[in-house]
Amino acid sequence: MSDETRAIRRRFVPGTTADDLKAYMAPFVATLGYKFNTEQDFVDEVLASELEILEATGDVYCPCRVRTGDPKEDFKIICPCIPFHNEQFAAMRKCWCGLFILEDVEDGAELLGVIDEPEPGAAVDVPVCRIDDLPRGQVRHVKVGKSDIALARVGDEFFALSNVCLHAFGPLSEGVLEGYEVMCPWHGWRYDVRTGGTDHPNADVKTYPVVVRDGLVFVSVTVR
Amino acid sequence: MTVKVYALSTCPYCRMTRKYLDENNVQYDVTEVDLLEGDEKAAAIDEVRTVSGGTSFPVVIVGDEVVVGFNKKRIMELLGL
Repeated sequence: MSDETRAIRRRFVPGTTADDLKAYMAPFVATLGYKFNTEQDFVDEVLASELEILEATGDVYCPCRVRTGDPKEDFKIICPCIPFHNEQFAAMRKCWCGLFILEDVEDGAELLGVIDEPEPGAAVDVPVCRIDDLPRGQVRHVKVGKSDIALARVGDEFFALSNVCLHAFGPLSEGVLEGYEVMCPWHGWRYDVRTGGTDHPNADVKTYPVVVRDGLVFVSVTVR
Repeated sequence: MTVKVYALSTCPYCRMTRKYLDENNVQYDVTEVDLLEGDEKAAAIDEVRTVSGGTSFPVVIVGDEVVVGFNKKRIMELLGL
């Protein structure tokens, strides 16, 4: 990696170009199941806007959303902002601007313009990681919409359950996976990752359907 | 019918929306929210939140109807184009 590339990855530097942004963003959005829009002119237009915003503000805020001045709000619209809006974007099959589209969308032009936000109650498959990014026998935390989820891999099967142990609200994604059981890191409560079931009364946790396709893991959720 | 557009100077869909309205000779008021400052900006953001439920652009208000994003079909319907 050249010193220049390192500098770009560490922090955007004066003279950052659209190609620099592409080189940094493409591998990141690929981990989330997205790619750049197939409409090159549109991509160039959005990135040109982002470079203007970078120049003015020091970061690549979304050109289609407004900075409110509240840092807690505004960091959620730094491009690529997919992790903070993954449920909505999966339903729309693109990010808000359409700079990024889901990997399986062949013609990004069809998604430009109209913005259909998902209705509450709609089912949506949200990509959460690539298959190879979660080793067998491991569990990790993923956030889908407002839900905190523990994603577990047993062999080549994937399971999603609430991340929150109902004993003392420990993070199951930091626990140890033994076979189909994840052990809470705080007090050792065990949950079956297939069912969310535990031996403790009234303490089962919610599970979510998981779909694996095209090298990606999707968690199916209902839009709230 | 009054047409009001809340836009950002940086947003491609806002440009498309305005171009479309211009091409169809629609008279409209436009506020470029990111170019405002201080209280004026805060008031405009509040207004956008109130009418659209979010802070995403463009927001086109036709009479009492609110359209978020460049939804050409919906804008056509509302304006009878």
